[in-house]
Amino acid sequence: MTEELDLTTLSVEELYEVMGDDLYDGYKEEVVEGVKEALSRNVAPYDVLTSGLVAGMEIVGNDFRDGVLFVPEVLMAANAMKAGMAVLRPLLAETGAPSVGKMVIGTVKGDIHDIGKNLVAMMMEGAGFDVINLGINQSAENFIAAVKEHQPTFVGMSALLTTTMPYMKVIIDALKEEGLRDQVTVLVGGAPLNEAFAEAIEADAYCRDAAVAVETAKKFAAIRRQRAAAS
Amino acid sequence: MKRRERRSRRRDTGSARGVPAVIPIINKLPFTEVLDDNGVQAIHQASMRLLKETGILVIDYPPALETFRKHGAKVDGEMVWIDEDTLMHFVQQAPATFSQLARNPTNTLTIGGRNTIFAPVYGPPFVADLDRGRREATLQDFHNFAKLTQMTPYLHAAGGTLVEPQDIPVAERHLDMLLAHITLTDKAFMGSVTSADNARDSVTMAQILFGADAIRQTPAVLGLINASSPLRFDDRMLGALEVYARAGQAAIITPFIIAGAMSPVTMAATLAQQNAEALFGICYAQMLNPGTPVIYGSFLANIDMRSGAPCFGTPENTLALYAGAQLARYYNLPYRSGGNFTASRIPDAQAGYESASTLWPTVQAGTNYVLHAAGWLEGGLISGYEKFVLDSEMLGIMARYVQGISLEEDDFAWDAFAEVGPGNHFLGSAHTMRHYETAFYQHQVFSMDNYEKWEEEGKEDSYKKANAVWKQMLKNYQAPPIDPAVAEALNAFVEHRRAEIRAGKPRSDWPG
Ligand code: B12
Repeated sequence: MTEELDLTTLSVEELYEVMGDDLYDGYKEEVVEGVKEALSRNVAPYDVLTSGLVAGMEIVGNDFRDGVLFVPEVLMAANAMKAGMAVLRPLLAETGAPSVGKMVIGTVKGDIHDIGKNLVAMMMEGAGFDVINLGINQSAENFIAAVKEHQPTFVGMSALLTTTMPYMKVIIDALKEEGLRDQVTVLVGGAPLNEAFAEAIEADAYCRDAAVAVETAKKFAAIRRQRAAAS
Repeated sequence: MKRRERRSRRRDTGSARGVPAVIPIINKLPFTEVLDDNGVQAIHQASMRLLKETGILVIDYPPALETFRKHGAKVDGEMVWIDEDTLMHFVQQAPATFSQLARNPTNTLTIGGRNTIFAPVYGPPFVADLDRGRREATLQDFHNFAKLTQMTPYLHAAGGTLVEPQDIPVAERHLDMLLAHITLTDKAFMGSVTSADNARDSVTMAQILFGADAIRQTPAVLGLINASSPLRFDDRMLGALEVYARAGQAAIITPFIIAGAMSPVTMAATLAQQNAEALFGICYAQMLNPGTPVIYGSFLANIDMRSGAPCFGTPENTLALYAGAQLARYYNLPYRSGGNFTASRIPDAQAGYESASTLWPTVQAGTNYVLHAAGWLEGGLISGYEKFVLDSEMLGIMARYVQGISLEEDDFAWDAFAEVGPGNHFLGSAHTMRHYETAFYQHQVFSMDNYEKWEEEGKEDSYKKANAVWKQMLKNYQAPPIDPAVAEALNAFVEHRRAEIRAGKPRSDWPG
């Protein structure tokens, strides 16, 4: 139930609050309206992104982690977020604002498990990351090609089989060979993995679930931004 | 006289050798059904519509597309559509019942009809026990679970990937697992499905063990072929299925569905999808080799809408399990489903309740082949030592339950009523003396001690008790004797293949 609300009567702070509620409820059009309204007040697009959308989705993420929200509800919220992002993206590029981050994610070759990987992709999108979801059964060549094409900050790999886990190392080695390894932060996940494995294959981090994946990615993104600012 | 009879009966059970004989399960009870005839028809029709209109995606396996095209299905790109007549023409060629060879002929299985076969847990990358908690599984663990399986009279089959031995390189793991099954147990085992080559290795080892002619006659290898639901099969599974079908070996075709993610949230749609996928795989096996023995499989969990993880023992799963059995019977096919499922990480109360909530319907549905009957924890991520023992206790209870109520003259115990009369107890009556040993299921792990005794003896819960039991079982274990020449030939093959694999060579044909 949405009561009629005149967005023009609200302050920017109130606008963000409504945006957060709309995200939480998965109201796509309303989120887009909110974003447009904020922009019409000459708020910087980057500010709308971080204080509006990302802040709103953080609550969604927390409530998902704490078992309050259902997966389909989070999916709706993430879609609403994406719609808002679509409005902001060109403006962000124009103003040269730092992006939250971009991730190429896929399930590695020989493996077709994707429920968990898709959850991670959804939560990452929800947190404001641009996500390129390669799908299942992805070879090192495909990962490399996608990294070259999309220039992501993150590469996410998923494997649910002990027989396909070793292939993650193949992809990391290929990234090294192509001289791309230092450009990207590699996150790995999947039920049979653990931290020791991530370390052994020289990934940057293992994440046990989608919530941790988002937290970890945010941490790495912040470090990146600090480094970029310092240099 | 009586005493001598009893002693000889004990010898029969084989307990003197430490390895108990397998106790077959033939279900004498009426099966529980949740659909009426119209319901079965409605699901059948919906599946036919799915196969004809929505179709099945066959990824990365052109030979299967060609086979379907050749036999009258519509193929476009990687999509296959098939109509009811074509499909059912092939499905009908699958046998209703078949046998699977075991090294010990008394353990040869009859799959189908009123038989229920219990096989241990399949696939977990981790093991756990009370002493060491959860850890990566090794070949040593695989050997332990094979030995425990051999020692459990209620496990009729040796199973397959009891654990994933992570200390062995992926490419050669299947060899070590097969060798372990064949040498450490004398029960029917499952073959590798991780690639067509590995399936071929499984067939070769069965040929060495039983003879090529023998396994042509009667299958010795059973492959677990999963659909990649929704409405999709992949090259690995179809490739392995092709090897088994052409070699006359058997396969379980299982749509593996986590409803809500891999199928719609409603059970009607989920069942229709499951049925479509199972029949599609079964049809493919028959196209390759008419009469290929197959089992209609179902692995149906539902998603936890709050985390995405699979849930087990839910009321929806239970209903679907019964309905799946009805559909398999409708097509005259053996049925695989169920097990001792739980999402819990340790054998706690949740594990006990969830497992019991799946095992009872599994048996009452008339399921013919029950994978994951012992050892399953954390949604299939852990093979649990104690869980294995506790589950086996439940299997024993099931073995007794399916015998139903005997109504012979002696069962009415007229002599006991005459001897004891009203108001007295029956513990010493001649009728009781004749039957007390077998009248009630004898628990192996569950304890009936009163509180004080239990407290005095260290407050052992069933988890702890089971810990002692599996250790004792491993101590009592004795390897079933094997013909040294056969063992040598198997070892020779395994080492030959291992060398080939390590050298990166493709599979050569092993003579014989
Ligand atoms: C569903 C399922 C399937 C489905 C997959 C459908 C699909 N669209 O994904 C199907 C039926 C196709 C399937 C097939 C097979 N499966 Co399967 N499958 C499972 C099952 C039951 C659940 C997996 C799942 O979706 N979990 C729910 C999600 C939400 O959790 P998750 O995947 O762990 O993801 C979370 C985290 O791990 C993390 N994460 C995951 N990916 C990533 C990536 C990144 C970058 C990050 C940061 C985090 C992250 O975040 C996620 C969200 O919180 C597991 C058992 C289990 N309990 O895990 C077996 C399991 C993984 N499968 C197994 C096996 C053996 C198979 C088959 C080989 C079986 C067969 N004989 O056919 C085939 C292989 C097919 C193939 N080529 O890949 C084994 C693997 C064990 C092993 N030995 O390695 C398991 C453990 C079950 C078992 N005991 O047999 N399977």
